[in-house]
Amino acid sequence: MTFQRSPIPGEDIRRAMEMPARRRELIEQSSSQLPQASYGVNELAASLHPGIVRARISEKRPAGVDCCVITLQSLGKDGRFAWFRAGQFITLSAEVGDSFISRPYSLSSSPKQALEGIYEITVQKKGIFSRWLIEEARIGEIVLVNEPSGDFYHDSLRDHDHILAIAGGSGVTPFVAMMKAIREGSEDFRLTLLYGARTLQHLLLKPEEYENERIRVIPVLSDEQSEGYFYGFIDRTVIAPYLDDDTTVFMCGPEAMYGFTAHELAELNVEHFRRERNSVGNRSVDEPQIFRLKVHVRDEVYEMLARSEETLITALERARIPAPVRCKNGVCGYCHSRLISGEYFVDEKNDFRREADRKFGYLHPCVCYPLSDMEIEIPILDK
Amino acid sequence: MNKYDVIVIGAGNGGLAAAVRVLQAGKSCLVCEKHNIPGGFATSFVRGRFEFEASLHEFNGIGTPQQPGSTRQLFQQLGVADKIEWVQLKDAYHLISRKEGYDFVMPFGYEAFALANNQIHPEGEKYIRHFFALCQQIRDAMEYLSASKGRPDPKVMMEKYPDYLACGSYSVNEAFEALGYPKEIVDNLNTYWCYLGADGNNLSFLHYANMIYSYFAKGAAVPRHRSHELSLAFEQRIHELGGDIWYNSEVTRILTDENGRVKGIELKDGRQLESRHVIADISPHVVYGKLMDPGAVPEKARRLTNFRKLAGRGFTVFLGLNRSAEQLGIMDHNYFIYDTCDSVAQYEAMKNFGNTAAQATVCLNNAIPDCSPEGTAILYMTTLFTDDVWSQVSQQEYHQVKEKVATAMIERFEQATGVNIRDHIEELAIATPQTYARYCGHPQGTIYGYESQYYDGLMNRIQMVEEDHFVEGLRIGGGFGERLLGYPSSYKSGVNEANRTLKDIEREEVQP
Repeated sequence: MTFQRSPIPGEDIRRAMEMPARRRELIEQSSSQLPQASYGVNELAASLHPGIVRARISEKRPAGVDCCVITLQSLGKDGRFAWFRAGQFITLSAEVGDSFISRPYSLSSSPKQALEGIYEITVQKKGIFSRWLIEEARIGEIVLVNEPSGDFYHDSLRDHDHILAIAGGSGVTPFVAMMKAIREGSEDFRLTLLYGARTLQHLLLKPEEYENERIRVIPVLSDEQSEGYFYGFIDRTVIAPYLDDDTTVFMCGPEAMYGFTAHELAELNVEHFRRERNSVGNRSVDEPQIFRLKVHVRDEVYEMLARSEETLITALERARIPAPVRCKNGVCGYCHSRLISGEYFVDEKNDFRREADRKFGYLHPCVCYPLSDMEIEIPILDK
Repeated sequence: MNKYDVIVIGAGNGGLAAAVRVLQAGKSCLVCEKHNIPGGFATSFVRGRFEFEASLHEFNGIGTPQQPGSTRQLFQQLGVADKIEWVQLKDAYHLISRKEGYDFVMPFGYEAFALANNQIHPEGEKYIRHFFALCQQIRDAMEYLSASKGRPDPKVMMEKYPDYLACGSYSVNEAFEALGYPKEIVDNLNTYWCYLGADGNNLSFLHYANMIYSYFAKGAAVPRHRSHELSLAFEQRIHELGGDIWYNSEVTRILTDENGRVKGIELKDGRQLESRHVIADISPHVVYGKLMDPGAVPEKARRLTNFRKLAGRGFTVFLGLNRSAEQLGIMDHNYFIYDTCDSVAQYEAMKNFGNTAAQATVCLNNAIPDCSPEGTAILYMTTLFTDDVWSQVSQQEYHQVKEKVATAMIERFEQATGVNIRDHIEELAIATPQTYARYCGHPQGTIYGYESQYYDGLMNRIQMVEEDHFVEGLRIGGGFGERLLGYPSSYKSGVNEANRTLKDIEREEVQP
């Protein structure tokens, strides 16, 4: 024998034999109440990640040129919205015309307002959904709001203390949230905003409303010369004075701006910056085609047409199938779906699938375009 | 109303394995999962240029195709083995413990590990060979018990496996005390304790010895494409066998008839599905406390559930670094960084915020060099909280608290290894108990199911598994199941519960 603990012969084994009886006794002494059903950790997780909540449009306020600030009032259980990191986006869904459409918008309100049941977004008159919001949606209209997500926010571990924010047009909205968050004390960093707009009229904010010892706002007008304002694009001469070793660059704006600014930053030896990704829309195709798309949702099967120049999500939206949609740029994986058959195209720069997704044939329909008839299985929308 | 022979709640490791087994037996099966992908903790996520492994540090019981370990054999039986590519790990770990001043690397392999112990004690090898001989007997005994299907011959047990019986009731600390090994050797052998998360006064020696023997002597591996590869391999197998998985489909009720037997489930959207057999790959706390009508929960089920202790709540920092592991000076795959090797003291310290008692840290590039783009590295650090400090945190404080805890872990790693992390963080994600609660619904964000307690360890649970079954038509497996936490255990538990369910079905067919 190798193992002996008790000096009494046979005692170790006897002890082992008695384990079940002792366990039985202890179970018998335990409470006969129903096990606890709610837990602090799970409750906070549910508050932070409520999924989809209903909201009503409570205010629409024109801003700049062709833009509108839209206020949403939570119709969720406790009348609140989820807390978020300034810079994150929400996804709105509603029936628009013959489609059921979802679209992401950066929040431009502050985290503390969320707890009062208020989210605000700033919408530009571009695209079907935004036009609908500005022109058709009425005060009191109900929309679905999917919880805040995305990692376009200041992270004290990853980012420096000072953010140099470069914004183009309505790309200023996540930075508006950040400035509000700094001012109310829910975020803690310094921010310099280089804000590109076409003319004074296009500006969606008044710098003096936000500036303080931690926040600077520097508008740069591309189409208008005005006393006291930079004129032109946000180039290296505009950027350079605000760069130092304690600065992380964030960008949000149209794709054309990213190309230009990335080049200017490279000239200034800035390799790493964070940029908010735009939704992926239609692509241009030499000879547009129309394919058959068969979609499985649980035990239901839907058949629809899908255009070669539109994403699979667009086809689903047209067919009014409530599919899970969040970022619309391939990143978040919320629309993760199984390919059963068919060919599709996905641009490598929008392909954020996991390695195993590629290996086993999964796709993110929000960035995939059909190249043939296709059959896929999508998860149901969890409303 | 749709009708299935079996409905599985939860597409975690246990649920996926259970579904495959049920389908292999020719029964119809639907898996309902609240998240939009399979795997539970066995998953991955993408941030920027990095794909992070969500939970797996290393997988034991895989072995090689020529000498398959027990889990590879299980995967072969389930028909998923060929779908998964494994990468073998070279070394077991790099242990750095502040109090004892340890800083050494331990290799995998029976011989190599035994010899390596000579560097921490002059006669290290001797003790390890002694320990391994004991472990081998424990392993053989377990195989015999498993083969004898609960009816072992007491004479055979006494004659062939006396040590197994003799150490059967003791905790890790009690057993090592009896074995009388030098402190350095015991400390080294205790290193893996945090993989089971119960301190040495509670953790069953048989369970622990069996696990570390598997690691040390047989080695470990990781799937090439993160554990998401495992989960999708199972999902593919389920489809091949004609089964279904419904995602975004949380089960909110288990329906029972007037006799208290299972008759179906209800989903969050109110849809009901009929089935006389449910296998739940979720916690009994949720099953009995939330999903079943209170009147249908037997008193014994309540008492057993209340008897149990929730195990460690998880916390992980995932880092995408903009330098290679080599450039940073991170030379090993697997680090254990401890304030002390005394697991009881560690467990106690882990009840609070602000401690750095223990972290298990993996640099994935040192197993899979191309798991991230050239010139970058993936590092993830995990710790446990052994009490509910996280349940006191408010929405407003939450992000600051998690960044603070993460900062302390990164600084502890830097201090222990001399590596600069802070200046090279390109992407970062932090998983708190809230994160684990969000995705898997486990009470308080536990990642280890029910803690291995003195009277609720592996052997007790296996021995009493039929006694712990209360509701006709309902079996509960996975990480909260009879084989406790961990990847191999939860797959095995899923298969076991599926086999029991198949037997239940067979019995009912004979005697409806």
